[in-house]
Amino acid sequence: MATELGLAIKRRSASPASSTDIRTEAIEVSKLVDIDLCIGCKACEVACKEWNDLPVDETENFGSYQSHKDLTAATWDLMRFNEVELDGGDLAWLIRKDSCMHCAEPGCLLACPAPGAIVQYENGIVDFDQQNCIGCQYCVAGCPFDIPRFDPESKKVYKCTLCVDRVSNGLEPACVKACPTGSIRFGTKEEMLIYGEEKVAKLRGRGFDDALLYDPQGVGGLHMMYVVPRGGMLDEYGLPEDPTVKAASFFPVMSGLRKLGSLSMWAGIVGTAIFFLRSGRHPVPDEDEAVAAAQARAGSEGAEAGGREQAK
Amino acid sequence: MSVREEHGLVRYSLFDRILHWFVALTFIYLMLSGLALGYPRMAWLYDVLGGGSTVESVHPWVGAGFTIGVVLMLVSWAKSMRFNDIDRQWTRGLGSYTKSGHVDLDVDKYNAGQKGYFWFAIVTGVVLLLTGIPLWFPSLVTGGWAQVFRLLHHVFFLLSVGGFIIHVYTSTVMFPGTMTAMTTGSVSRRWAAWHHPRWFRDEEAKGA
Repeated sequence: MATELGLAIKRRSASPASSTDIRTEAIEVSKLVDIDLCIGCKACEVACKEWNDLPVDETENFGSYQSHKDLTAATWDLMRFNEVELDGGDLAWLIRKDSCMHCAEPGCLLACPAPGAIVQYENGIVDFDQQNCIGCQYCVAGCPFDIPRFDPESKKVYKCTLCVDRVSNGLEPACVKACPTGSIRFGTKEEMLIYGEEKVAKLRGRGFDDALLYDPQGVGGLHMMYVVPRGGMLDEYGLPEDPTVKAASFFPVMSGLRKLGSLSMWAGIVGTAIFFLRSGRHPVPDEDEAVAAAQARAGSEGAEAGGREQAK
Repeated sequence: MSVREEHGLVRYSLFDRILHWFVALTFIYLMLSGLALGYPRMAWLYDVLGGGSTVESVHPWVGAGFTIGVVLMLVSWAKSMRFNDIDRQWTRGLGSYTKSGHVDLDVDKYNAGQKGYFWFAIVTGVVLLLTGIPLWFPSLVTGGWAQVFRLLHHVFFLLSVGGFIIHVYTSTVMFPGTMTAMTTGSVSRRWAAWHHPRWFRDEEAKGA
């Protein structure tokens, strides 16, 4: 697994866009969850907590194998269990490891107004830097997979880092390391695509006709893909069919508006200065003249016709 | 004996002036913090204003204060801000007003430009409040709506800043003698007679 990769930054939230990268072949990494091999043991959940030093969220029995109802600011990885009745009366037990997908077009990063609170590395990892997070939660609204979680106490947002600290030192993410069946895999995006496509072909051979590799292009592709045996049941797995960056058209409009905004603000200041040079100040004439003019108005028709009577 | 007592006409009460400066200061804070929040290149303003988290949590509260100020302005000033026939004539003479700084009309306490800015500030203030609430409480909206509100908030921010620039320019540089209305609360007789002849005569008649 020769995926030791440095931390060259590709994009940084709320920072003036600037491409400083001259590399031609940045190697992208990816996780891949082969749902076919997953036994729902939750070792990945535990490994995630341990490696990232995350406090325990109390578990709750709500009639499911699932440890917690939902992701939280301190639970970045959650096995979701869903029981679905099939047409023939059979039962399908759908299990999915839910955590950040590390989109190539990260809706969270695009929405973030805090410089450097979200960074995307050349290797595809999207990471939050809580030091720079201002707690506005725009990323929560921007994420098409409902992943980031706001912690009201620290007023910061948290999510899976894809163990960027491990990956940059040549190690696989903690969840991958802990997975006993090899369901969670890690490698270059290319390797994972090859594995995924081969696996999908095998599944189809075994009768899972709608098996698919989940790597939606609406978000530019993922750096955590799934091999989904029952591809017709994405909804039941909790995976959006065709996720896109939410309100994607907002971002170009917004950036156009920013340009217009800064342009018009400068135009306003320069225009006002030119207006001043042209027209100058308008001082009032001396008191006698001004008062005389005002008094002269008193009897004039204009004064009677205008103003207060109609306005009342 | 002060100049005010000798020559001045009282234009704004202490309450009016406190209200004006409260709205002005909250607006300036909102504008600067808004610039930081909306413009990556202005992100250095976060540091000036105490850091991103501070700005993020203070901005909506200051916005709430600003809104209260705007509502008080509406309640206490709206009556004198109704448009009348003179205002329609004034608006037709806007070109010569901007050029020469004077239109020969029997203007009351406010001319149409001042009234226009008042209503402009009220409307932008209300829209900024309404579009700001879902940004303050993100759980109120889902999906792309947050971005729609951000966009609208931004558009009205730009409009309000445009109005603000004109307001500051006209009341300081363009028309000397105007500023004292909001500092000492009074204006000179010549200023009042020249710019607001009708209001001038009424005030003089009251005093007599």
